[in-house]
Amino acid sequence: MDVNFTTADLTFQKEVRNFFQNEYPMDIREKQEKGIYLKKDDHIRFQKALYDKGWAGINWPVEYGGTGWSATQKYIFFSESGEAKAPRIVPFGLSMVAPVIFSYGNDEQKQRFLPDILASNIWWCQGYSEPNSGSDLASLKTKAIKDGDDYIISGTKTWTTLGQYADWIFCLVRTDDSGRKQEGISFILIDMKTPGVSITPIITIDGTHEVNEVHFDAVRIPAKNLIGEEGKGWTYAKVLLTHERTGIARVGESRARLNALKELLDNPSNDVHNLSQNTIFMTRLLEVEIELKALEYTELRVLSAISTGKAPGPKSSILKIRGTEIIQTLDELFLEIGGIHSLPYLPDQYCDASDFEAIGPSFAAKTTATYYNNRKVSIYGGTNEIQKNIIAKQVLGL
Amino acid sequence: MKILVPVKRVVDFNVKVRVKADGTGVDIDNVKMSMNPFDEIAVEEAIRLKEAGSADEVIVVSVGVQQCQETLRTALAMGADRAILVKTDALVEPLAVAKILAKIAEEEGTNLVILGKQSIDDDCNQTGQMLAALIGRPQGTFASEVVVEDDKVTVIREVDGGLETISMSLPAIVTADLRLNEPRYASLPNIMKAKRKPLSEKMAEDYGVDLKPRHKIIAISEPVTREAGIKVADVTELVAKLKSVGAI
Amino acid sequence: MDFSLSDLQQMMQDSVSKFIQKDYDFETRQSLVNSDLGYSEDNWKLFSDLGWLGLPINAEYGGIGGNLIDTIFLQEELGKGLVVEPIFSTLMLGANLVQKHGSSEQKTTMLEDVISGKLKLALAHAEGPAAFDITQISTTARKEGDKYILNGHKSVVIGGASADKILICARTSGKVGDENGISIFIINPDQQGTSTRAYTTNDGMRAADIKFNQVILDATSLLGEADTAFNAVDQVLHEAIVALSAEAIGIMGVLIDKTAEYLRTRQQFGNAIGRFQVLQHRMADMFMETEQAKSMLYFAAIEMAENKTNAKRAAKMLKVKIGSATRFVGQQAVQLHGGMGVSDELDIGHYFKRLTSINTLLGSKDYHLNELIKIPAIRQ
Repeated sequence: MDVNFTTADLTFQKEVRNFFQNEYPMDIREKQEKGIYLKKDDHIRFQKALYDKGWAGINWPVEYGGTGWSATQKYIFFSESGEAKAPRIVPFGLSMVAPVIFSYGNDEQKQRFLPDILASNIWWCQGYSEPNSGSDLASLKTKAIKDGDDYIISGTKTWTTLGQYADWIFCLVRTDDSGRKQEGISFILIDMKTPGVSITPIITIDGTHEVNEVHFDAVRIPAKNLIGEEGKGWTYAKVLLTHERTGIARVGESRARLNALKELLDNPSNDVHNLSQNTIFMTRLLEVEIELKALEYTELRVLSAISTGKAPGPKSSILKIRGTEIIQTLDELFLEIGGIHSLPYLPDQYCDASDFEAIGPSFAAKTTATYYNNRKVSIYGGTNEIQKNIIAKQVLGL
Repeated sequence: MKILVPVKRVVDFNVKVRVKADGTGVDIDNVKMSMNPFDEIAVEEAIRLKEAGSADEVIVVSVGVQQCQETLRTALAMGADRAILVKTDALVEPLAVAKILAKIAEEEGTNLVILGKQSIDDDCNQTGQMLAALIGRPQGTFASEVVVEDDKVTVIREVDGGLETISMSLPAIVTADLRLNEPRYASLPNIMKAKRKPLSEKMAEDYGVDLKPRHKIIAISEPVTREAGIKVADVTELVAKLKSVGAI
Repeated sequence: MDFSLSDLQQMMQDSVSKFIQKDYDFETRQSLVNSDLGYSEDNWKLFSDLGWLGLPINAEYGGIGGNLIDTIFLQEELGKGLVVEPIFSTLMLGANLVQKHGSSEQKTTMLEDVISGKLKLALAHAEGPAAFDITQISTTARKEGDKYILNGHKSVVIGGASADKILICARTSGKVGDENGISIFIINPDQQGTSTRAYTTNDGMRAADIKFNQVILDATSLLGEADTAFNAVDQVLHEAIVALSAEAIGIMGVLIDKTAEYLRTRQQFGNAIGRFQVLQHRMADMFMETEQAKSMLYFAAIEMAENKTNAKRAAKMLKVKIGSATRFVGQQAVQLHGGMGVSDELDIGHYFKRLTSINTLLGSKDYHLNELIKIPAIRQ
């Protein structure tokens, strides 16, 4: 048992670190450092920088232009990117629709879609959840009725993250209601410009426009956009979910935030109360530090199992649950350290790089918005309660 | 005298196995694997024969995936002298194993092969018998006692209704039953020594044996769960109950 | 990076686990707890024959030369059987200290006897206000000519009743709080001026309080050099945290298995109670706590074994995590077993009791949290 990296891994780590320090557009890095929200173009430029480096297809097979990285290399990549506060890769194209296409799509579909996804030329969004189908996703109702060489699609998808930027959406749709509800679901790709597709924003409690509702009003989609077999969409989506969850724990990112908290404690500015003497705060900080260290090792254990050929299994639900709990605890600690300066609602301060005059220390402005925004992390991707159901059923046999 | 002991890597007897969702087999992902308990008894018996001076060398062999070498190391740690791993990722049935063992027994010139009477995963209880037939030597199955003297081996067999004592001339095949002995725990010094004992790796193909399965598994299913019983107060009530359900 | 077990670790685990299954079921364990001695000398002999008593001892003294990582796999398995034989006090505390601080002659003779099962050791470090931090002890050994005069009171010496020799931490110079001036003396339990009161602890283990009244010791009673034992003892106690935590991990694993099995079979309201989501989630939480604690165990074991800069800090972090995990998993295992959980007849309560002791031994969660706040990590 050892946690040391090989020389090759260490060299790789250096290269990754260098990339995140020097090799992607510096104005984006600056925004990240200052906590300013990224725009569409920023995300694309960042992902194109990864593409130019050959690092866009992290979980892709080499034959489609993927990295072919080992589990350890992926761990290093996500760990470094988190610690460097680099933008997160918008997952919908590169890590969600692409694996379905290269695993279950036909050659024509692979040639048509994969190169543009890899190069971030096309922005994808996800059409899974519906207003009445959240955790019980298989109850979804958006209908796709076969009509000659087309499907006619009607229904509403919701919580569509960054759908306002999207060129395409991948959807789970119901092609059959006769049998088990999981068996009538198909996986289809839809061009957002198709007549009948409309989008309305949902504003979240942090005041931002991140998610949307997407409506389909008798939208005519060619049947060749269906991936794999009709009725197998549920299986594809599920395989994908348990297939690859590297980085889901977001350990690197949380470690960077923990270190930022410690920095603030070490160098308290005059207008913030000094919490390093507050034993209750320090206890909470330590407990989250311990939990994060444990999670780092839990992730390493999962990766070690993967690299010896074992399936990551339902244990990776721990990574999701504990990873998001840690994120939310860190949010609370930031809120505490921000003190009264976390109260003003001045979104200009973090919505663009204008020379807005800060109230209080600069970190404090966004603490509340981040706290609100991150309430989503224990809800999306299968709520933490659903994750516990998975552990209870699949690990404990209950 | 050389003794050959084949050992099989199986799901540990403490593990409550679960059938895979698609019914094609038992789920062995992340499941603890161990040496087949009857094989462990066979290894123990061979080592005891060696310790008693009846044998010079104990060779253990396993047919299967690379990880079978862990099982072999365990046998070496118990006291076996050397090991042979016959590698294959294919599902091997008793007949194929018996054919490979026949070749090894011939190659090594072993006088005695001690096997577990059956493995706890497929419960076939065939390999020892098939091996005896293939090499045309006598077999003493379900042994609860084994005594080697000169060129004879005396085996007390556990048969229905009692014990049967047979005497066979060597070379011979013996299969071990549960009461043959109580296998030892591997001690740490012996585990350390086992690391340095020879373990040779062969490919199943090296023996020119056709591994193709003769059986097709159609379905694997969980046993029916037992329904809850009831308690009765006395014999009269028991008899009444049995009558009411038509059991008597 | 690799978390798979070495051949030695794997086979040792198998071997210990088989011993527990075949020869150490709960009834056997309880009869040992209730026996005069509190453990079995036959088992001790077997442990010696199997080489377990030589695991952490260097090969040059006839041991196996295993490191701290190897010992966690022994401890984890022993935990599963709630083994009462004094392995922790003899090996993890006593022999480890002899190995780290003894003179070469002491190492040769004492460690050989430990391996062969002839010598059981105990470490008398704790006193009421100094459960973990030995700079706080008030037991003293005053030098007079070539003798030492020992006075003081050692509390809850684990394995103290059965030990053939006891290692006493005493102050030979300096004042309370100083790292310098701590020495270790090897005494026989029947040494004149020593009074021992032996008892059973809450978890069925044995311990003793030992008082010293003007005990006269030869200089040969000193383990290693005088005044300089702090580092060795402190290191041993931090390594012992790792070993003790491994035992807790074994216990929590058993509690998870047994509780899940109970939930699958216990019928109420016409259902197996494991069908109720509130219990499913509770068990998922217990499982996660145990896995996280296990990760922390591996982290601390590796840091300590490789002597990393913040290794002792890692051990303290582990003790904090073990503290919260053992509380939660132990209490919930009892809760989910309902009334049977608090019955003495069932093993569940006994696993719970051992976890409770483990949380208290070698400094509780609160103690180590406070220490961690006081001493920040060294930045590298």
